[in-house]
Amino acid sequence: MTSVQARATGALEVRGLEAGYGKIQVLWGIDLDVAEGEFVAIIGANGAGKTTLLRTLSGLIAPRGGSVSAFGRPLRGLSAARVVRSGVGHVPEGRQLFPLMSVRENLDAGADYLPAARARAGRNRAFVYELFPRLLERERQLAGTLSGGERQMVAIGRALMSDPRLLLVDEPSLGLAPALSASVFAALEQINADGVSVVLVEQNVHQSLKLADHAVVLETGEVVLRGTGSELLSHPRVREAYLSL
Amino acid sequence: MDTTLLVQALVSGVLAAGLYALVSVGLALAIGVIGIVNFAHGEFFMVGAFLAYQLFVTFGIDPVWSLFIVAPALFALGAIIYTSTIRFVLKAPELNQMLLTFGIGIILQNLALLIWGGDPRTIAGITYRGIGYQIGGVSIGLVPLASFVVSLVLVLGLYWMLARTPLGRAMRAVAQNRTGAALVGLEVNRVYLVAFALSALLAGIGGVMIAVIQSPTPVVGFAFTLKAFAIVVVAGLGNIRGILFAALFVAVAESLVATLVPNGDTLRNAVFFAIIFAVLIRRSWRTA
Repeated sequence: MTSVQARATGALEVRGLEAGYGKIQVLWGIDLDVAEGEFVAIIGANGAGKTTLLRTLSGLIAPRGGSVSAFGRPLRGLSAARVVRSGVGHVPEGRQLFPLMSVRENLDAGADYLPAARARAGRNRAFVYELFPRLLERERQLAGTLSGGERQMVAIGRALMSDPRLLLVDEPSLGLAPALSASVFAALEQINADGVSVVLVEQNVHQSLKLADHAVVLETGEVVLRGTGSELLSHPRVREAYLSL
Repeated sequence: MDTTLLVQALVSGVLAAGLYALVSVGLALAIGVIGIVNFAHGEFFMVGAFLAYQLFVTFGIDPVWSLFIVAPALFALGAIIYTSTIRFVLKAPELNQMLLTFGIGIILQNLALLIWGGDPRTIAGITYRGIGYQIGGVSIGLVPLASFVVSLVLVLGLYWMLARTPLGRAMRAVAQNRTGAALVGLEVNRVYLVAFALSALLAGIGGVMIAVIQSPTPVVGFAFTLKAFAIVVVAGLGNIRGILFAALFVAVAESLVATLVPNGDTLRNAVFFAIIFAVLIRRSWRTA
């Protein structure tokens, strides 16, 4: 796809984005494009600003400069509650579930407050249970009593219930056993195949670059490398810094 | 010991528990949903009482009907106080939050003293206040009975709202995880506003009842803040469902001490302090 086409049908367009906390600026002029249906990975060391980038995109943090638009609609200045209405779902760091609600209630919460998503809740719930059959078995269990992997499944499922066209996913493999993390990656691949654009932040560089159409490397709040997933997998700087090869 | 006196004390305690639960459940709602310990909560109760008094004096409105004016007025007052003050300290240290609500309480109390003075105010001449029933030597007043029933209906209604309605689910979601709630499309601040305003409304309704049951002064609010705190502590901070039983326990304890201990009536407030101390000490043993 050429860049002109990518811009015409862009799922996400980020220009010169700056953000931070209090007196500390974390992001310094990020540019990022995600075409519709594309899978983009963001890699980088701890503290590079990956999570801050996702939190700024989904409206949890107000940006200090630059612009963000999703599907041609500007997002800057919108609250998180409004960003999700623009079709952008966020699977946040730490999962942020409702621990005293059941798995089913957590999932339904993803759709309850969005009229468009509520209309598709049945279809989306079926898709979530197809992706993660374990959640159907645990439907009545309180989210706070689930294992780490199951919580991650609920977090992804809840975001899918908001019927997103773009899904921002923060470190889904964190704290998961390899087999579980493989099944979470497989689910993300299937979600993407279903037509949802994905922006994935991951420590597991090898897995995420294998899945990604495009990827960017973030260092101290700036994009230092861009390329296709396979280009970056073989890039010496990536191999040395992130793959320990 | 005189059994009639004991039964009378138990019945009075149970009847008082309704009103206590109504006031405490609002305090627990603010703690549980917003995470704000509202030391001005009893003042909402006091404002409700004096609004009912003023509506009666100026317009001759019976307290039963003024409920329908006081409730929305207190909802509005709660919303104004949330919007103008509370929402700015949500992320501030707890001590700052407590000082703020304490300050709001002092302002409301002193405004009331300016307007109504320090003397007890009675809503005089309402006929149903004198009505009571005698059952085997135990007397039950119509007004305490009605206040018990109305309070119980409101508290159970709140439980139902939290468990079954979209607004209730939104409040639980916001209480359990603020970030998660924002990400599923909830405007967290708006849910907080409604919870705080609702908390003030429930206290205000309790205030209307106390205006009929007693002859309150503008300092009545502090006593009820204290009572509500004892109940919230017994139930466990932020535990809304435990309020009903905690209120029953605290109100019956107060009633028994006031009735059965010589000069017990002067010990009423001491009962609440004693319960707060006992519960906190017991919890610290359990966790130590």
